[in-house]
Amino acid sequence: MKDITTSVLKIDNEEKSKGSAIYVSDITIPGMYYAKTVRSTISKGKIQKITLPEMPENYTIVDYKDIPGKNIVRIIFEDQKIFAEDEVTYYGEPIMLVVGPDKLIIEELVKQIKIEYIEETPVFEYVNSAINYNFKKGDAKSAFENADKVIKYDYVTGYQEQLYIEPQGMVVDIEGDKVTLTGSLQCPYYVKNAVLSALDAKDSEVRVIQAVVGGAFGGKEEFPSLTTTQLAVAAKKIGKPIKMIYEREEDMEVTTKRHPSKINMEAAISKDKEILAFRANVGLDAGANIGLSGVVLSRALIACTGAYTIDDIEVNGDVFLTNTVPNGAYRGFGAPQMLFAVEMFMHHIAKEIDCDPLKLRLRYLSKQGDATSTQGTFNDPIIMNDMIKKAMKESDYKAKKIKYAKEDVYKGIGMSWFLHGCGFTGSGESTHINALVKLRKDKNDKVHILIAAVDMGQGIRTTMMKIVSQVLDIPLEQTVYDLPNTDLVPDSGPTVASRTIMIVGGLVARAAKQLKENWTPGEELTVSERYKQPEYIKWDEDNFVGDAYPAYSWGVNIVEVEVCPVTYQVTLQHVWSVYDVGKAIDERIIMGQADGGIMQGIGYGYLEVMNSKDGRIQQKNVTDYIIPTSVDSPPLDTYLMDNPYPLGPYGAKGAGELTLVGGAPAVALAIEEAIGKKIHKIPVTPEYIMELMKNGKN
Amino acid sequence: MVKNVIPVSYSEALDLLNERPFKIIAGGTDLMVQRRSWAQTPPKFSEDVLYIFNLEELKYIKEVDGYIVIGSTTPVEDVLKNKLTPNLLKAAISIMASPALRNMATIAGNIGNASPAGDTLPILYTLDAIIVLESIEGIRELPIKDVITGPGKHIIKQNEIIKELKLPISVFTNSAFEKVGGRKADAISKVSFTGAVNIKDNKVLDFRIAFGAVSATILRRKDLEEKYVGLTKDELIGKVDEIVADYDPFVRPIDDQRSNKEYRKTVALNLLRNFIETL
Repeated sequence: MKDITTSVLKIDNEEKSKGSAIYVSDITIPGMYYAKTVRSTISKGKIQKITLPEMPENYTIVDYKDIPGKNIVRIIFEDQKIFAEDEVTYYGEPIMLVVGPDKLIIEELVKQIKIEYIEETPVFEYVNSAINYNFKKGDAKSAFENADKVIKYDYVTGYQEQLYIEPQGMVVDIEGDKVTLTGSLQCPYYVKNAVLSALDAKDSEVRVIQAVVGGAFGGKEEFPSLTTTQLAVAAKKIGKPIKMIYEREEDMEVTTKRHPSKINMEAAISKDKEILAFRANVGLDAGANIGLSGVVLSRALIACTGAYTIDDIEVNGDVFLTNTVPNGAYRGFGAPQMLFAVEMFMHHIAKEIDCDPLKLRLRYLSKQGDATSTQGTFNDPIIMNDMIKKAMKESDYKAKKIKYAKEDVYKGIGMSWFLHGCGFTGSGESTHINALVKLRKDKNDKVHILIAAVDMGQGIRTTMMKIVSQVLDIPLEQTVYDLPNTDLVPDSGPTVASRTIMIVGGLVARAAKQLKENWTPGEELTVSERYKQPEYIKWDEDNFVGDAYPAYSWGVNIVEVEVCPVTYQVTLQHVWSVYDVGKAIDERIIMGQADGGIMQGIGYGYLEVMNSKDGRIQQKNVTDYIIPTSVDSPPLDTYLMDNPYPLGPYGAKGAGELTLVGGAPAVALAIEEAIGKKIHKIPVTPEYIMELMKNGKN
Repeated sequence: MVKNVIPVSYSEALDLLNERPFKIIAGGTDLMVQRRSWAQTPPKFSEDVLYIFNLEELKYIKEVDGYIVIGSTTPVEDVLKNKLTPNLLKAAISIMASPALRNMATIAGNIGNASPAGDTLPILYTLDAIIVLESIEGIRELPIKDVITGPGKHIIKQNEIIKELKLPISVFTNSAFEKVGGRKADAISKVSFTGAVNIKDNKVLDFRIAFGAVSATILRRKDLEEKYVGLTKDELIGKVDEIVADYDPFVRPIDDQRSNKEYRKTVALNLLRNFIETL
């Protein structure tokens, strides 16, 4: 039998390269209407009066009064309205849809709708805390009291936009009582449950089908639940199929982004230059709704010591509401902000206590058996030492470090170490998700993979088929994995949190074993498997105590840069990455994830600028929001380690987010070395580098 | 209802322009973005549109009487590949936008769009380009600085078309073009710089400096340049502080979503200083 890591052609290669794949914007239904959203034009206030134009025949508005069920987008924290009622809390908040057959007439009607507001003073600062989490490990308080020295640094991170190539889009169809939603989404059952709640409908009355998805990166985790509920309400009112595709500017202006953050770090240092304890205080800007922000905050807080073991810690974090566009899921989910702060902080501590950063970091690097930040245990082997050696050797790190420090050049090399918890935080997998998967063998012995996992470009259709064919020892062509349809597949959970291969793939592998044991040629058979939390995993959600994740993936990124002293622009020279994802189910797919992930992470660190001014996003098209192009990308050398995780399929752990989370600190550290000034915020733009070179601290 | 007209010849285009107002579009790489609309609806033109990209008569690059003459519908990629094209212009085109856009974009479009960040404009100013405008009434030849009057503003009349541009053949011993964009390709300039000098027998015969995206139009000051003609190379380099100080008051960039004025100004003057110091 072949090693499963050996690459195969992705099963959607052909349809995507030919252009025959059906994305949501390719779908048309006879008699289909279109919808456009009417949005708030202020950041905060009461709606005083709405004046509608005379509506031509077949044109209708749809607003909160049309919602049969609750005016709430049901996801995790239920505070987001489907349509604003009498008040608005951010610029761009949806108030109503205008629906009809002709786009030009819809646009004209949207223009004629007059909304009068009583404006109130919006809040853009981190003052209005909606969620506070805090936890402790050990006794940080006395460590700080007994410290010889306390080192404090503040770190700031900006927005990041997912910039999936395909904007948000959805089509609704209605036949009798049955509503079918087809669209670009990551989580078919999130959407289904949200629509059930909005329509107050019976389970059988709502069906969600995934269209081919052109990228998501978390941006299609919770946001599609908003647009689908709006369209479902509209379809119920009008009785027509309706399509709503966002234009790029609308998408960039009103959809969820990575939370900006402010992070204060404190370390208690002993006389012997040991780190006694950490304090971390994290503020996330949630925008106008809480949504997933509490879960994002949890992941950030749990990552507060990064890849290091610090015995005594005190952690505090807040989700702040501001009158700006709501933020949400984005590949990494709180970890990129925290890991940037931790990695910079370790280097800044080393500078302050005059210690080689590499030696200091190695002293605290986590080992198997260490306690995690939440007093759980790193149960599985940690091979970071080998990974660091490998990355340093391949990049010639030590020699370059010495060379660049001595010479009068604006060159630098930076190295980040990081981990990523695989799967939902805490006991989410067992308490919230409780995944179920099915495999159905038909009369022709074809095996249908029945799961709700969405292939959004990360190759999950190919890798799941590989797992099934490998377990059953049947050709790949004998397996079938159609785009999920909630009438046909069980709820195997959302396609998020680096959980799909490890958790869902693990269940699929177990189901395949079951099928193999009961295999009778020519006979139909359906088998299922449900998630069971490993018994050794214990988690106390209220106190942040125990194993926050069933497993961790680990990584090392090294980035080499040159900074131009005339223009302050950064040129990436080379990137080296070493990852422990357990076992790669398909080498080329992981390498693709790695190349995209690291450039997304590095882009977050030095290039991607998004600001909100007076509550409005300033960079709302691909001209103004700059992400790296292939010309900006240097050689990317990636090495995968074999460190199989016993409970993952063939030893696989999470991989999707890991490749992003270390990019920003690695590039920021490289720039810090190149210019010899401490960096406290990302993105490290040429404008910021100029400021630092004029006034920054060494 | 907006009419879209595709003339079959240059003379037909001139006749049509004489009849009624049109928006002229060649490659459309600026206009189609500016007039973008909801997918599957027509672009938002409020006036009739004259599509001239197919006019082969205006696609040429030739040398005539000491000028390099470039027809207005010649895509910049063709300009880039032509051996007659001055090196400075090639430098600007080679880092302009992306390959797909370069096959559609025209230099005349950069002039018609009149953005202070237009990639080829600092080069046209530096080279003293002459813009040839034609209407049914005749031909006008104007220096580029008299054609563009402000951001998006020019003096081209309603019945006129940019027929071609004429670049006087110049000799430079040192020249540089620097575009500072948000990234290495496919970006709009935050600031750009062009410097060109001709030094013969250790004497500065010609000294030209232009900046893009630091004022309402491309910044070029012949009065300042003339101060430094006649110096030796070392004298010129020795006066770098004075030169930078001379340009300082005229470098007046703005804050926007792509950068800020402090950065633009600092970098513009750094580029000037660096150009002179490394002559």
